[in-house]
Amino acid sequence: MHSNRLGWLLLAPTMIILFFFGVVPFFYVIWVSFHQWNPFAANPNMVFNWASNYRQVVFDAQLMASLGVTFAFVFFAVVSELILGYLLAQAFMKDFPGKAFFRTIHTLPLIMAPIIVGSIWKLMTTPSIGIIPSLVQSWFGLDLNIGQSALAAFTVTVVMDIWHWTPLVTLSLIAALVSLPPDPFEQAQIDGANKRQIFWHITLPMIAPAVVATVFIRLMDALRTVDEVLMLTGGGPGSATRYIGVHIFKEVFPRTNYGYGSAISVVVLYMTIVICWLLYVGLIAPRNTKKG
Amino acid sequence: MANVKIDNVVKRYGAVQVMHGVNVDIEHGEFVVLVGPSGCGKSTLLRMLAGLEEISDGTISIGDKVVNGVSPKDRDISMVFQSYALYPHKTVAENIGFPLKMAKRPKAEIDEKVTRAAKILDLAHLLDRFPKQLSGGQRQRVAMGRAIVRDPQVFLFDEPLSNLDAKLRVTMRVEIKELHQRLKTTIVYVTHDQIEAMTMADKIVVMRDGRVEQIGAPLDLYDRPGNVFVAGFIGSPSMNFLRGKIASADGAKQFASDSGLRLPLPDTGAPDGAEVIYGIRPEHIGVSADGTAGGVPVNVVVVEPTGSETQIFAKAGGDVIDAIVKDRIRAAPGSQIHFVIDPANVHLFDAKTEQRI
Ligand SMILES: Nc1ncnc2c1ncn2[C@@H]1O[C@H](COP(=O)(O)OP(=O)(O)O)[C@@H](O)[C@H]1O
Ligand SMILES: [Mg+2]
Repeated sequence: MHSNRLGWLLLAPTMIILFFFGVVPFFYVIWVSFHQWNPFAANPNMVFNWASNYRQVVFDAQLMASLGVTFAFVFFAVVSELILGYLLAQAFMKDFPGKAFFRTIHTLPLIMAPIIVGSIWKLMTTPSIGIIPSLVQSWFGLDLNIGQSALAAFTVTVVMDIWHWTPLVTLSLIAALVSLPPDPFEQAQIDGANKRQIFWHITLPMIAPAVVATVFIRLMDALRTVDEVLMLTGGGPGSATRYIGVHIFKEVFPRTNYGYGSAISVVVLYMTIVICWLLYVGLIAPRNTKKG
Repeated sequence: MANVKIDNVVKRYGAVQVMHGVNVDIEHGEFVVLVGPSGCGKSTLLRMLAGLEEISDGTISIGDKVVNGVSPKDRDISMVFQSYALYPHKTVAENIGFPLKMAKRPKAEIDEKVTRAAKILDLAHLLDRFPKQLSGGQRQRVAMGRAIVRDPQVFLFDEPLSNLDAKLRVTMRVEIKELHQRLKTTIVYVTHDQIEAMTMADKIVVMRDGRVEQIGAPLDLYDRPGNVFVAGFIGSPSMNFLRGKIASADGAKQFASDSGLRLPLPDTGAPDGAEVIYGIRPEHIGVSADGTAGGVPVNVVVVEPTGSETQIFAKAGGDVIDAIVKDRIRAAPGSQIHFVIDPANVHLFDAKTEQRI
């Protein structure tokens, strides 16, 4: 009994913090999402308006467009990060001179605040002063202007996200690869498997849990990208890079439309959960039930 | 099936040389056991055979084809690792069928061969399980099944029984030997356990510190060990060794140990005064209680009865000698008995070179 009470006592600070910073805001957002609340409107008070915010969500053409570009952004960013991260992780599994040095500097983007990343990339991509448009011009003869071309803006946000977050994928895949036992790989060679077969039949299934966990993390993060993109493109040109996070930000802050912003947030949260659940059901659950 | 030729093979890890010119010839269908103390290079040699380690110098041929530089997947060999190296995410059936799947064999053929291997190894009821749901012995058999399905030229085994308990080890020893008699495929088998080597091998290769000490049939090694190391390594319990000189007494040659014992000698060309090591196996020492049958008086230190036999440790001069007899001897520690040695069972080694005389 005594040790049990001590356990709760030790857990208490964490639980209290979690409660106030996690549980309370979560329910607060849900509660707000059922209200009409704009402090600068004619009626600045919260007015309960049933589910009309949610009804508005469904008919919000801008929101649907945002969702579309968000999914494209998330798809291209996360898939590229996964492939690139895996290749880098494999490279870091080998020995080469200066490996520790490269492994350290390649993680530097991770420790940068998104707002800084956005500023740097804005500087690098500003036409006529940034290095990237100048390089693209001299290499491919293309005129890269993220203020005008929707495709250019979209591409640069994807590349920026890849630059920022690939190291996370690399690190988690290095951890997974390092912990693999060497024997099955030698055995597979002896069993006649070539490199490609070893990847698909041995490596990938054995690191699958780490891959899926990494995808979850990157997916959830990419779905709520705001500050980098806001800094880089402001969501434009037009609404080409008005990803869902940017959309919510613009609803909530410049327009102070708290109730509606909360409703979108809840919908996005719900979609995130559904996507992760689908991934889980598709990738992890079959393995577990087969083993059970 | 194929013969294997290991010709002057050297292995270096950087500046460290761990294998110093090893030569072994293995015939078609032979069961060869590499045996030696831990760290002597058995696994390294086997891994060079498999293609998992580079050969620093010399050549290895499988079936008359030099395989230096041939990758493991192209050597047509199977290997069973000490850890079994089962694929944790695959079922028993998938594990066993893996080599065939990699070779892109038709599914019907894979199923048929897996079923047959599972039957031979008594795994038929476990085909849908995953490795973590198996016992040690079952995992071992799955690894064997995966090795036999593709009918390779050579089987390589690296201490496959050392993770099993003593009883299961004996069972599996018999099973592997039976398997060999049935399949007649060349087997190279690594172990540090000389009993395994003796019971399973057609030919034993005794290794020490990256060198081959002796190659021969089990009983040849037992009867005529080429040097002190092999004599001490083969046979359990280990041979007794006494240091001393050849001496003559009453016109017959005798062994005079440094501790003052006088022991009978076989015919030997070694001259009087030659420094030798005198070896006699515990099981070749007879015991007589009163000395009427001749023999050397010794003082009993410890008696260890195991039921079927009795092991006696006794002090003679400064040396402790042990003997194993079938009789049930009841001798109190400290009491005197006599050890009887038949000169025909004595092994003599040069004291300096430790080679057999
Ligand atoms: N990768 C390696 N690098 C350096 N030395 C090694 C390596 N692998 C094995 N060795 C050395 O080679 C010798 C033989 O090892 P091994 O073949 O594993 O012995 P065994 O299987 O007979 O116990 C040992 O002295 C070991 O330390
Ligand atoms: Mg070994």
